[in-house]
Amino acid sequence: MTIGGGVPARDAGRHGRWLQVVLPATSVVIGVLLIAGPFLATVIRSLLEWGADGPQLSAANFIGLFSDPRFYNAAVNTVIAGASTMMLSLLLGFSLAWVVARTDMPGRTWFETLNLVPFFLSPYVGALSWIYLLAPHSGLLQWVARTWFGVSLDAIDIYSVAGVVWVLTLFYTPYVYLFVIGPLRQMDAAFEDAARVHGASFWYTMRHITLPLMIPALLSAGLIVFVTSAGLFDVPLALASPRGIRMMPTEIFSLVQYPSDLGRAAAFGIVVLIVTILLTLLQRRHIGQRRFDTVTGKGYRPRRIRLKGKGLAAALALEVFYIGGGVVLPVIALLMVSFSRLWTGRFLLRTASIGNFDYVLTRYNLTQQAIVNSLELALVGATLGVALSILQAYYLTRGNPRRRALVDALLALPLGIPGIILGLGFLILAIRTPLYSTLTIILIAYIARFFPFATRTIAAMFLAINPELEQSARSSGASWLQTMRLVVLPLLRPSIIAAWLMLFVIFIRELGATILLYGQGTETISVTMVILSERSSGYVAALAVVQLVLLLVAFTIFRLTRTSIVQA
Amino acid sequence: MADAGFVHIRNLTKRFGNHAAVNDVSFDVAEGHTLALLGPSGCGKTTILRCLAGLETPEAGTIEIAGRMVFDRTRHVDFVPEKRELGIVFQSYAVWPHMSVAENVAFPLKVRGMPRAERLKRASRMLETVGLAGFEDRPATLVSGGQQQRIALARALVHEPRLVLFDEALSNLDAQLREQMRLELRLLQERLRFTAIYVTHDQAEAFGLADTVVLMNHGTVETMGSARDVFHRPSSAFAARFFGLNVLEGRVSRTAPDGQHVEVALNGRLTIRGRPADGVNLAEGTPVLACIRKEYVGIERSDVQDDATGTIAAASFLGVAEECVVDLQGVMLRATRPAIGLARGDRVRVALSSDDWIVLPASNERGDL
Repeated sequence: MTIGGGVPARDAGRHGRWLQVVLPATSVVIGVLLIAGPFLATVIRSLLEWGADGPQLSAANFIGLFSDPRFYNAAVNTVIAGASTMMLSLLLGFSLAWVVARTDMPGRTWFETLNLVPFFLSPYVGALSWIYLLAPHSGLLQWVARTWFGVSLDAIDIYSVAGVVWVLTLFYTPYVYLFVIGPLRQMDAAFEDAARVHGASFWYTMRHITLPLMIPALLSAGLIVFVTSAGLFDVPLALASPRGIRMMPTEIFSLVQYPSDLGRAAAFGIVVLIVTILLTLLQRRHIGQRRFDTVTGKGYRPRRIRLKGKGLAAALALEVFYIGGGVVLPVIALLMVSFSRLWTGRFLLRTASIGNFDYVLTRYNLTQQAIVNSLELALVGATLGVALSILQAYYLTRGNPRRRALVDALLALPLGIPGIILGLGFLILAIRTPLYSTLTIILIAYIARFFPFATRTIAAMFLAINPELEQSARSSGASWLQTMRLVVLPLLRPSIIAAWLMLFVIFIRELGATILLYGQGTETISVTMVILSERSSGYVAALAVVQLVLLLVAFTIFRLTRTSIVQA
Repeated sequence: MADAGFVHIRNLTKRFGNHAAVNDVSFDVAEGHTLALLGPSGCGKTTILRCLAGLETPEAGTIEIAGRMVFDRTRHVDFVPEKRELGIVFQSYAVWPHMSVAENVAFPLKVRGMPRAERLKRASRMLETVGLAGFEDRPATLVSGGQQQRIALARALVHEPRLVLFDEALSNLDAQLREQMRLELRLLQERLRFTAIYVTHDQAEAFGLADTVVLMNHGTVETMGSARDVFHRPSSAFAARFFGLNVLEGRVSRTAPDGQHVEVALNGRLTIRGRPADGVNLAEGTPVLACIRKEYVGIERSDVQDDATGTIAAASFLGVAEECVVDLQGVMLRATRPAIGLARGDRVRVALSSDDWIVLPASNERGDL
């Protein structure tokens, strides 16, 4: 075998470097448009006032908003709910992560998975389930406490800001958990060991060494929880609206309802966006100033603490409390309601029936259509979203290094934008177009709101792939497309599956954006539950169980493929 | 013929931001020859290799491979990597973890559209050549580092490229394996007759593999020539220091009557006689650097006390050899000798031959090392 010209490369077309530049750049442009479109629409709409002779530039919407006591009332309630949720989730999430990562609690591998389950469930269904559990006088828990223990729980009212905080905490704890469990695991044991060897007690070490080292992770998690939980529409709709308690997402929703005031709603949205962006900038600056090297990769992994006696009991009680409140009790309540012909606050086996399911799945057009719509949105949306995200992740990790940081910051913006505000933006954009109340506009809104989750998951995996793996493919004669197909995509596969399932789950349960964009024939499962909640809790519960099954199937695939959620 | 040159690099410049990683570098490689780009980390040697492969886009210059202009900034010629028809072996090996050993090796043939049976046959043959016969169906992640290195090598050669690039290809192997691979690579190159460019920071690797050595410093060519010339007659202080010579400051005190040598006063007391570097004229009083290999500093135990007697200031045992620092009238000289059990404070006689000293003008010192 001597060299005589060798095996020549095939002429794979004349695109050269063109495709590898244009495709990722296009995905970034699409991402920016998806954010800028609704944002600009909201800004412009908030500055317009419809007079006798058409729209005029005016600050009337903002003046009206700021002179309305209901605005301040809603703002205060929302900030209280968001801040309380943040504090409780940080406490609960950190404790759970610490117990799983740093102790020898029995069954911790199971709890590691179980702690994530609420991340995959619908907060709206969670809120409904907690109504079944704790509604004044008719809740299951009230009944159990009264008949079995002779205790009256009637003082507890789930329809309150406290109720909202409780359900939000259950759903946002996994965010904190995901943010801190990695750093807790990978922290160099020497940091803690040095403190202990030099005479610090366990609690002193926790307070002065472990927690301070976790501050970047806790700060990021806290901010995300504050911003997203305060912007979540689902829970206030179920728990605050019935009592007329005003909160930001539900206020915006009612401003859009007849007689709608889109200008005022847009002004409200802009105020929320400004606060969100300021908070995000603050957090970026804070983390930029302090550098921590907890993740050393080298050194010893921290030792696991041996739990016994009271410590063990406390750890197990914590898990039982969280899994019970976040998963077991709501699911039991949901099943009971869905199998009851008429829900009266207690489950009777002799009146159990599958009538609700029969009606919802086979006899009622609205619910059937809703299930089809949701599946369609989730399947198509997750696929398109992931395709977009792969290219964006390519840009963020392999593209022009000078523009990467800016693009990264831009593409992360939707992470903090409440669904209802993005929905409002797309509503304003679509309102007088053929897109109005179509599945397409809902799909676009879904992708716009959630693509950063997928992009970050895939980009994290991209970072772990040595670029030389791609470069040697190119030098071996493969074109950019061949390299993507034969080398990059197979290596990214775990993260692509994870991102796809994440989007699927989010799209199946989305409510905040959908509630403003749906129309007749484009209802989703979540929207239909809201519509039916006035009529029959049985149908709602049956529909919620159908949704739950879809979500749990996705979760199961997620665990089976052994992919991991990368922190967003 | 061979001198016509196979790879031509002219005025290559590559910047990262304001930093010129490669600054106006030119050199040629003759067909079938081996060139080593040698230098400390950050000197730009890997950047040159990546520019050759089309993995970086230079700011200026031209690159010609096998008679084809593959890069010319002014004429907007910039071939994508896959059109440059070469093979590359990375320091990380870049063996694809999701493919078997045979799939890795057959990849260049696959993307060239060769039918499966044919390409697997060729991959097997190439695996045999690199000593990995029978490994075809192993997952690529289940082989050792040395074997991954061979897979990467087989992959770089399987499509019979005329130019193969090696980026620190041997650096991750342990010393014994590195030695062995070096010899095998030389044999393989004799057989397959490809042109090779190695990037390395290891002198032994560069001299062991290459016909021509290019020593790089801060993005420019410090010195270039045949391996022997570059090694024996360092032409700059940087080269002398990089190759581990003693480099001592001094002044020319007298030009010797034979015209071949000069006398250099190293400090108040010690004066040595040495040869100026090629083509350099040194007048009396010129500040110079006197350089000598550690191996050429002759020392032996002595009880006599005269001008050529020094004291061991430090000694360390390196196994076969012994390295020590000799204090010769206030001048510290490093010397390497077969181990004879010297210890701090021992008195030794120092022998220095005037032909072993290389005298460089001090002004040509540039950069740091």
